[in-house]
Amino acid sequence: MPDDPAPLLHLRGVAITHEGADAAAPASVSFDVRPGEVVLLLGPSGSGKSTLALASNGLIPQAVPARLEGTVTVRGLSTRETPVATLARHVGMVFQDPDAQLVTGSVFDEVAFGPENLQMPVAEVLARTEQALRRVGLWDRRAENPDRLSGGGKQRLAIACALAMRSELLVLDEPTANLDPAGIEDVYAALRDVAADGRSVLLVEHDLDAAAELTDRVVVLDADGRTIADGGVDEVLRDRADELDALGVWLPVSTMAALALRRAGWDLPRLPLTPPELHEALESADAPVPRAGDSLLGRVEERPEPRPDLHSAHPAVEVSGLTLRRGRRTVLHDVDLTIGAGEFVAVVGANGAGKTTLVQAIAGVLAPPHGTVRVDGADPATTALRDLSRRIGFVFQNPEHQFIAHTVFDELAHGLRGRGLEDAEIRTRTTRMLARFGLEAKADVHPFLLSGGQKRRLSVGTALIAGAPVLALDEPTFGQDRARADELLQLLRDLNEAGTTVIVVTHDMQLVAEYAERTVVVHDGRIRADAATRDVFADEALLREAGLRRPALQRALRGVTRHPQLAGITALRDLAGGRG
Amino acid sequence: MTVDPSAAGSPGFLAHLSPLAKLAAPLPAMIVLVVARDLVTPLTFLALAYLLLLVGRRMSWRVAALLFVGLPIGAAIMGLALGLWVDAALVDDTPAVLRVGAWTLHAGAVEVGLATGARLAAILALGLIAGLTTTGPDLVRASVQQLRVPYRIGYAALAAIRFVPRFAYELELIRQAHRVRGAHGGRGPFAAVARGAGYVVPLLAGAIRHAERVALAMDARAFGAHPDRTERYLLPWRRRDTVFVLAFWAVSAATLAALFPWGL
Amino acid sequence: MARTPLLSTRVLLVCAALGVATGLLGGVAGAITPLVLIGAPWAYGLVLGSHVLPGIIAQQVFRLPLVALTTHVLAALVASAVNPAWIWRFVGTALLFGAIQEGVAALTRYRSWGAWRFFTAALVIGVLVAAVVFAAADLGKLAVWAQIAYLVIALAGPILWTAAGLALGERLRRAGVARGVRTG
Ligand SMILES: Nc1ncnc2c1ncn2[C@@H]1O[C@H](COP(=O)(O)OP(=O)(O)OP(=O)(O)O)[C@@H](O)[C@H]1O
Ligand SMILES: Nc1ncnc2c1ncn2[C@@H]1O[C@H](COP(=O)(O)OP(=O)(O)OP(=O)(O)O)[C@@H](O)[C@H]1O
Ligand SMILES: [Mg+2]
Ligand SMILES: [Mg+2]
Repeated sequence: MPDDPAPLLHLRGVAITHEGADAAAPASVSFDVRPGEVVLLLGPSGSGKSTLALASNGLIPQAVPARLEGTVTVRGLSTRETPVATLARHVGMVFQDPDAQLVTGSVFDEVAFGPENLQMPVAEVLARTEQALRRVGLWDRRAENPDRLSGGGKQRLAIACALAMRSELLVLDEPTANLDPAGIEDVYAALRDVAADGRSVLLVEHDLDAAAELTDRVVVLDADGRTIADGGVDEVLRDRADELDALGVWLPVSTMAALALRRAGWDLPRLPLTPPELHEALESADAPVPRAGDSLLGRVEERPEPRPDLHSAHPAVEVSGLTLRRGRRTVLHDVDLTIGAGEFVAVVGANGAGKTTLVQAIAGVLAPPHGTVRVDGADPATTALRDLSRRIGFVFQNPEHQFIAHTVFDELAHGLRGRGLEDAEIRTRTTRMLARFGLEAKADVHPFLLSGGQKRRLSVGTALIAGAPVLALDEPTFGQDRARADELLQLLRDLNEAGTTVIVVTHDMQLVAEYAERTVVVHDGRIRADAATRDVFADEALLREAGLRRPALQRALRGVTRHPQLAGITALRDLAGGRG
Repeated sequence: MTVDPSAAGSPGFLAHLSPLAKLAAPLPAMIVLVVARDLVTPLTFLALAYLLLLVGRRMSWRVAALLFVGLPIGAAIMGLALGLWVDAALVDDTPAVLRVGAWTLHAGAVEVGLATGARLAAILALGLIAGLTTTGPDLVRASVQQLRVPYRIGYAALAAIRFVPRFAYELELIRQAHRVRGAHGGRGPFAAVARGAGYVVPLLAGAIRHAERVALAMDARAFGAHPDRTERYLLPWRRRDTVFVLAFWAVSAATLAALFPWGL
Repeated sequence: MARTPLLSTRVLLVCAALGVATGLLGGVAGAITPLVLIGAPWAYGLVLGSHVLPGIIAQQVFRLPLVALTTHVLAALVASAVNPAWIWRFVGTALLFGAIQEGVAALTRYRSWGAWRFFTAALVIGVLVAAVVFAAADLGKLAVWAQIAYLVIALAGPILWTAAGLALGERLRRAGVARGVRTG
């Protein structure tokens, strides 16, 4: 197979315009996927990667209203005319949202669904289903309801569904975007097996740390969706890393670390892609002679210590003896937690640990028992919600859930109305908030019509506008690419530096390392650890027990014996010259 | 009908009949019950339905409570209440049961009310024969396999059944979010309606987006490739289904003939 | 495309989603029916009228043939799952209301979608419902004022719910839902 010259998937000059959009995204894409290859597709948000994925099996233009220009062929079949159902024998799809690809009521039926559609004889359906389920390690759970699988399990199930179709090419669109670290490992383990079988893979992924080692070739799109790079991993990721970095495409953390170190004067001739490579490169490099003002250790010490004047008489959040039941389960057991004014705290833990429940109880979304929670001195159990929203702003995981008005402007103004403010005052404040979030042009648009990143910024804005001194966000990076996540967190840091207390629930360990001073680890409804972020990530046993992983940067820098000053660093911004 | 497919196959002979048989059998009796006016006809069919449910389905506490507490009490209260609304002019020749000031409750009114209550109870109980012994997915499969409903519609129905728990969860989230944002505060029925209306657009918009994604996932797996698809769960129409329907119809006919003219 | 099914998977599943949402409402309507019959039997038309919603919203969102009937049937299925005792009522109203709404739309060859068209369907439904429920609940025995109130409300119910459905469909359209499928 590897010497078969005919490409499996062939794209030439592909431009796609969604109905109702004014410009094509992608604007011009050309590349091939040959049998047995694993191709990674990179590009800034909005460059059209998901759109391309949908075009690879004819869903665009056949099921999604969009105009397709250029050529897309699968095994020589034009995706414009060949029915999606025929192309489905060649191309299997795994989408981002694990819940939105489940059709049936059991794991077995789910995998059998595809072969059944192809009118295979029953014996063949059974054989293919069993084989696919064994491949991804779900055979023992075949009788279960797919809803009961974890996020990682659902994505492995989706991979099994594609395998059962015997498709030669697997297209995955951000398959791990919302998973906890253990779930991500599960999915990549299954993907490695698929690639080892000799199938081709086209992977759209922001988290390059997991993807890079699997990849044969990298295709990069620029912001308009034009192919600007297409080549081997070394050729693209290593040799053009600076260019990609400038484009806003995310690179493996080890590569970004090396770029940061280079800027700080380190001599690293070959850019590393993985933690072991970075480790190796550092062991064989000399530290630069420190120049005044930007010494590495100097930067670390420069980190703002919590300012004492912000610690007012009472802490921002005080939780004592909080036990909470949801349905028949006790989800939180006797939780104690104190968060001082002006802190930036991350709440982490495996899926289902109770993080959401905890922050919701703090914000009064779920009613906590009397006397167990105090926010800014008030008890959410007895405070009217309108008053509470002036003390704590809460941002839900899915912004669409919390939009209540029909325009962006009204959405922001809602928090100010009903407070006896004058119209002019409301208008000024709202306009200021619109400007701050880059939404001026969208003031009259329905909130649902914004892009994903804009929706997220609007939802943060609605929580901010009330001027609450405490802000709690549940997985603010949900469904966002890393660049947008970075932008949002930068904003949170600015607020934090101006005195706002910030509490963030997240699965992204590198993000925690970059931004949070303090980390609370929730495990099985209990606070398993509550310490400075650096100390949490230093505790291997704790992380393993709570189902967490160390951030990639730390994995790379730990054990660098030649430069002890690097060993304790977990955040890119602590490397001189880094972002942020 | 149960939403959770894993609850399927509760033992008892009713569970082994085709869902369509269980729906078709009581239909003639139900139609007559809509127009019947006496008390005996509905009570007879009520008894028949209960008999089948007791013999043909394993009892659970929930079902027992429904059959022996919920339904009878509900029907009785409903009947009595309906009696209060009956036009006194029609029944003032019957003895008075209760007098409050100038207002009189006549026995005739009570009888009319109870007859209506019994009719509604009987119609419900006949519906429960299928309702309590069939799962949604089985009903869909039977419709596809025997009534020749296009399987594409059938699978849309199966997907719809799977949407239910998800939407319930989404609604809960939306309610929480709106509560926190202080949307539509206030008490009383009007505030409650305004609140509810505020949830509808986000819930439906989210539901539609979800449905569109599921549709793409189904298309990507060759859904609709052929006019037919492999069916691994066969729900054939067996002889026992024919027997059940014919027997039920015969009993219905005999009963109705004996009780004619049903108080008309 | 080699074979164009009458309704694409996307349209079918959106109908399913609308069916679920309105079917849950139908389940609620089934649950409060006894209460209404006890407290105010003459107001029953308001409750039964809510069953027009699936077709109205589906047609307002899609404006395609068969979407109303499909959504009605799917809604009936979900409502029956919530409230099994009323299964025939749900299926019956679904087929009846769906057929009427499709029929009125078909008379204009699925070209005219003015509000009057929806309200015509509502009126036809109101008349039919009034007659059937009148017989089922033996309303002829009620006091005359209650009978008149009942008839007026039975006609008003579907019309009010149709208006609500149209408003909702309009809001959904403004929220950018199901773009690219609507014709007309
Ligand atoms: N259904 C749609 N209707 C209209 N425009 C759309 C639709 N889907 C995507 N777009 C637009 O097409 C462009 C490309 O979107 P696409 O989702 O393919 O980007 P992407 O590269 O996958 O981005 P991300 O990294 O954020 O997932 C964007 O500008 C987006 O707003
Ligand atoms: N409404 C509910 N009813 C019953 N149980 C619930 C409810 N909501 C959550 N749970 C359960 O409570 C536990 C904690 O849920 P929670 O959402 O707080 O977890 P989490 O740490 O936020 O997980 P994730 O990372 O997946 O978001 C889970 O096991 C969940 O199944
Ligand atoms: Mg995308
Ligand atoms: Mg959570």
